[in-house]
Amino acid sequence: MAMAQTLGQAGVGSDSGDKWEVQVRKGSLELAILAVLWPGRLYGLEILRRLADSSALIVPEGTVYPLLNRLKTEGLLTSEWVEADAGHPRKYYKLTSSGRRRAMQMAAFWSAFSANLEGLLAPLMPETKPNAAARTAGRRNADD
Amino acid sequence: MTETQRTETRGTDVDLARAKIKKYLQDLAAALGSLPKEQSNDIVEELRSHIVEKSAANFNVNDDMNGTMTPASVDAVLAGLGAPESLARLYVADDLQIRALKSRSPVLIIRTLFRWASLSFAGFSALVASIIGYSLSLSLIICGLLRPIHPRTAGLFRIPDGANDYSVSLRLGFTGLPPGSHDLLGLWIIPIGVMAGLGLFLLTSLFALWSIRRLRRATPALSRRDEGDAEVSR
Repeated sequence: MAMAQTLGQAGVGSDSGDKWEVQVRKGSLELAILAVLWPGRLYGLEILRRLADSSALIVPEGTVYPLLNRLKTEGLLTSEWVEADAGHPRKYYKLTSSGRRRAMQMAAFWSAFSANLEGLLAPLMPETKPNAAARTAGRRNADD
Repeated sequence: MTETQRTETRGTDVDLARAKIKKYLQDLAAALGSLPKEQSNDIVEELRSHIVEKSAANFNVNDDMNGTMTPASVDAVLAGLGAPESLARLYVADDLQIRALKSRSPVLIIRTLFRWASLSFAGFSALVASIIGYSLSLSLIICGLLRPIHPRTAGLFRIPDGANDYSVSLRLGFTGLPPGSHDLLGLWIIPIGVMAGLGLFLLTSLFALWSIRRLRRATPALSRRDEGDAEVSR
């Protein structure tokens, strides 16, 4: 048993060797997908486009489809095939009610977490606060 | 694409593009073999839809497709998805994890960890630890149960090992013991072996399920990819 514990911990520790930025993107991808689906149903390629357009989340496409599949298995999404004029059917994803709840929980956690972290990080940032706020506002407008 | 390729008829190009798609999806379907047929068909069709739509030239999300796919555009889309085998691995490992977490069957747990073992060092460590845990727990239980059948040779023994050295060994009693061996637990091996074995079995399951959850959280969608893919995500 003692050995099992030690090995397990060694294994988990080795994850931190990965690039931190990649980890952050991976960790936020699930929330980003739920958020993108908040307004209504979308199919895979639309989800990918929105993620690429509205955030810095340029993710390998090969990871998004399996993730969609998992979110569906977990009951957070449902999917349906819709015939399109384009000649091939598309698989649309939609949030379930438990998906909506989960998305709200994650969003609340995320914003509380990042607000706390921002306070800690303020001394590390070269720009003064008003500038940073203006830049964030600008970015938000650009997205619209 | 070279100049000669461009002068070829459009029909040939489209055929070649179609053949590439077909090959990719066949490989994917083969690699998804362990999933239920219905689920693997669904995945293949979804990716077919993605590849066809995205590889059509002049793709615009608001229009329907108004372009034609070329072998080069198909290649680009397929590269974005990664090799069919690694894509399938993500689906299969994800699927196993969820089933293992739901069922808690040791067989499914070990199978899940086998998948993880090929993807990350953490998964490999968890697999090794779980195998050790399960086999030790089964050995303890079996040893306790075999004691009445092999009253002299099954149990926990201190066995002389060289001149002044001893080792402690759990024996199932199928082979004889070296001279000078000392039975440590006597008949107590029956209750202790069975209880400790069951306890260790439970602890191993808890540890393995904890590892699986932990691995899932560390890498959503199992995104441990090859270096080429990691570049894309940067």
